[in-house]
Amino acid sequence: MRIIPSLRGSGSGWALVWPARFIYKAKGLSRSDILIALALWLVVGFVVVYPLIFLFGESLRIAGTDRFGIHNYLDFFKDPYYLRCFGKTVLLGFLVLIATTAFGLPAAYILARYRIRGKTIFTALTLLPIVLPAYAGAFAFIVFFGRWGTLNLLLIEWGIIKAPVNFIYGLHGLVLIQAIHLLPFIVLGLMAAFTTIDPSLEEAAEVEGASAFKRFFTITLPLCTPSYFASAVLVFLWPFTDWLTPIMLGQTDLLPSIAYINIAYHFTDMYRKYMGIVSVVVSAIVCVGVFLAVKAWVERKKYTVLSKGTMFTGRQVTPRLLSRLVAYIYMLFISGLVLLIPVVLGLSAFSRRWVFTPIPTYWTLENFKLILVETPLLVRNSFVFSGVALVFGITFGLAAAYLLARTRVPGKSALEFITTLLLVFPGVAIGVSYLLAFWRTVPLATHWIIMPLALFARRVPYFLRMAYASYLQLDPSLEEAAEVSGANKLTTFTSISLPLLLKGIFVGVIMFFIMAFQEISTAVFLYRGGWETLPIGIYLNWHRGMEFGIAAAMAFFMVVLVFILLLIAAKIGGGILNVAWGATGRRS
Amino acid sequence: MKWLLVAKGKVFLAVCLLLLPLFVLQGAAQERLGWIGPIYQELAESLMRGFKEYYRKTYGKEIEITFIRPGGWPVCVDKVRLWGGKPDADVFLGAGAPAHELLKALGLTVPYYHKHWDAIPAQWRGMLVKDPLGYWSAFAPWLITNIYNEVVLKYLNLPVPKTWKDLLNPIYRGHIVQTLPYASGTQHETVEIHLQTMGEEEGWAYNRYLAAQLLRFSTGSVDTLHIVSRGEAAIGVAQPQMNAMAARKDGYPVAALVPDKTIMVPEAAALLAGAPNEENAKIFLDWLYSMEGQKYVLIGGYFPARIDISLTEWEAEGIIMAKHAREALGVDNFWDIEVELIDYDLELAKARWDEVNRYYEYEIFRKWDELKQTLILIEKVEEEIEAARKRGVDVIEAESKIKEARTLFGKGDYGEASRLALEARGLLPR
Repeated sequence: MRIIPSLRGSGSGWALVWPARFIYKAKGLSRSDILIALALWLVVGFVVVYPLIFLFGESLRIAGTDRFGIHNYLDFFKDPYYLRCFGKTVLLGFLVLIATTAFGLPAAYILARYRIRGKTIFTALTLLPIVLPAYAGAFAFIVFFGRWGTLNLLLIEWGIIKAPVNFIYGLHGLVLIQAIHLLPFIVLGLMAAFTTIDPSLEEAAEVEGASAFKRFFTITLPLCTPSYFASAVLVFLWPFTDWLTPIMLGQTDLLPSIAYINIAYHFTDMYRKYMGIVSVVVSAIVCVGVFLAVKAWVERKKYTVLSKGTMFTGRQVTPRLLSRLVAYIYMLFISGLVLLIPVVLGLSAFSRRWVFTPIPTYWTLENFKLILVETPLLVRNSFVFSGVALVFGITFGLAAAYLLARTRVPGKSALEFITTLLLVFPGVAIGVSYLLAFWRTVPLATHWIIMPLALFARRVPYFLRMAYASYLQLDPSLEEAAEVSGANKLTTFTSISLPLLLKGIFVGVIMFFIMAFQEISTAVFLYRGGWETLPIGIYLNWHRGMEFGIAAAMAFFMVVLVFILLLIAAKIGGGILNVAWGATGRRS
Repeated sequence: MKWLLVAKGKVFLAVCLLLLPLFVLQGAAQERLGWIGPIYQELAESLMRGFKEYYRKTYGKEIEITFIRPGGWPVCVDKVRLWGGKPDADVFLGAGAPAHELLKALGLTVPYYHKHWDAIPAQWRGMLVKDPLGYWSAFAPWLITNIYNEVVLKYLNLPVPKTWKDLLNPIYRGHIVQTLPYASGTQHETVEIHLQTMGEEEGWAYNRYLAAQLLRFSTGSVDTLHIVSRGEAAIGVAQPQMNAMAARKDGYPVAALVPDKTIMVPEAAALLAGAPNEENAKIFLDWLYSMEGQKYVLIGGYFPARIDISLTEWEAEGIIMAKHAREALGVDNFWDIEVELIDYDLELAKARWDEVNRYYEYEIFRKWDELKQTLILIEKVEEEIEAARKRGVDVIEAESKIKEARTLFGKGDYGEASRLALEARGLLPR
């Protein structure tokens, strides 16, 4: 009751306090929890619900009339084409998840458990794909694996093949590109899990005589499942949001691609536009269903280890020579695959007219000379917009993660449901909904703040998921112990929860910033001249058609910039990376 | 609560500091001008450079120009429509007559007769070059062409396809790329060319056969150019004429071919209704059609539109692009090109725009796999019939069935066409 009198002077404060007081009394909940929930709901209402109402309303419009109805949805489910697109998207989600797990599981295990040299650089390289827009990776792979790309030309030159082989165009190429792009999600998720498992559990199994193989499959892997599924669901849902990479590879029969094509190219055909929006809504609903199912499973499988409060790293071993050799070969393979993207982009950036030769023949600094005139603006915009979005994201994400994991505030599931929608809504849909919602009545679209606001709305689930997953792994009894000892909620949070959550939060901050930094599909609809970010610059230069070199130079510049950021984060903060992830293997 | 206030204060201060450069920068700008349109970035940069210099020289002050290109012209039109008469730009820069006619009909553009109105022809070979009511006028005309990659065609040992019919030759199967008519105005108009010159039935049949020849559908005209330039496909259908010129200038072995039936697209500019910087927009439009503005159009990789231009003279002045343009066009001024344009019915095209797009989507694009399989089956059975005939077998009935199957394929009844092809096969002796 202490807070309520302090708000008496403000009329608007009372509007918040009275319902809070009512619910507080009715449910026996903490006052601060209720106030946080109300504040979060205001934010969600403004940046999510309000624009999405416009979007959903659009999906109900009946083309050629002023009426609304569910006709578009009925058409969607009657149309074999949309059903085929849907089935193929689900299939792609599974294939990408399988491929990403196959690539990521050994990498995460090596990075989390083995004491090997170069672990920091391997970790940073494994995280690299996420800093690239997915389509930049696709360009690089097309240049390298294309019909007249480096690999085909070399194989023809060496007499191994006679005609070019289709390495990349098709579902197989799409799976490869998306799996590499999403590798960091799985690796980070699994690394976090591997490092937080109490070593004593595995040691106990070892003492009992379990083989390394048995230990891994009966102790380690089951304990990783909550973290793995928290990441895996993001990977699985990715094909429901990425429209550009499939289109580049000629795969248009997927829900997000068909949604983008229908929305972007409807021209005067409003029915096409509404069906595009319906595709977005349907895929979002299905994805949220999947997400909720996984979430329920993760919560049921929650493993709480009391000793975790005193441990910062999991079990680490010095591998035997053979294991070390295999680990190095594997990490070099993964790193090579990942490095292919910046290397090819780099070669393109320093050349022009690279076509029909395995490596460029015409070298130039012209591309960099050109972009140095443009880039300072783009870099500044990227940092400012992502930075502001990050401030929004941390403030919102921490509070939301706390509410979701620790309170019984009414409507928290709805809050999660709505923020989760953002994860699966194609950026183009958010872009369109923002344009619709923030133009006339709330004219935010004419001010630059719309850019970080959209980035925040689009990327906040990435931070929230990490913070939430960390909360799930944090034993509530540690916090309860602090509270029983007389600490208030704030002290408990800053002295108990926050230090233990630091790893998840730090990962979340990096993920959020990077994802905001490379966001394009919403931004491309909202930007005005002077608000271009680096990814938009890459897209615009690529869209010229022939100026791949300039786009590559921008992408290369961005990769180097963000990679340096990652290294700085690993060095300075990091103590955090080191302690939390055991990245350098200093501790046993 | 004190800690909360302090924390809030710090966050607010940090955000303000972070955003300060933007406020400073936004405050510094005085004169402004905004463009929206589907023109390529290279042209936008060239025009920006030229107009800023002109503005500085003429008015003694700087002008800040913004350019928004959210996608192809249908996307640009949609964006202007979303703005609903309160545009975030002043000039619609680029796109042909259908887009400008739609903007005009929606009341999203207003008439403006720029100072060089008479230097732009009203019509050319029966096609409108500018709007008689002053809503829009072409600043960079071009023809719809096809393109091919010289290196890949040579590697495949294939001749250059010269006519639309040539593209149906099975030797080109799997080597052609095109986009969807609703993803590109150029592609849409190409389909319209077939429909208007061959008649609807034959035109759609042609498009079915052409679809069976494709390696894949691209995402737009630029994507088609990209795919052909990199050699992923040998031939690209429906390309703005200047694309091959731009690719060649950058060293790609790409050439354009004006097909036997084509149209001219008057890439035009128009003043947006409710333009926030109307005066500057008018100054820009006056400059765009001036001799100086037209040179920057050429430098940006497009063909200039004035009738009184000599590329040879511009080349002599040191404009390198004039040489590329002369080589690409084969004449000294775009309007001197000897080409037979079709009698293009713009009103008909406008009236059935969505209908054509939808038909293509539902009957060709969505059934692409079925379409290809059916044609392959028909061709196989035809070969079997031919082989049987050579063996002296009576194939009259089988021939009649397979002909019917082809007719049904042309009409889009792939299921029935496949059934008849199989029946024809069944009539042949094992």
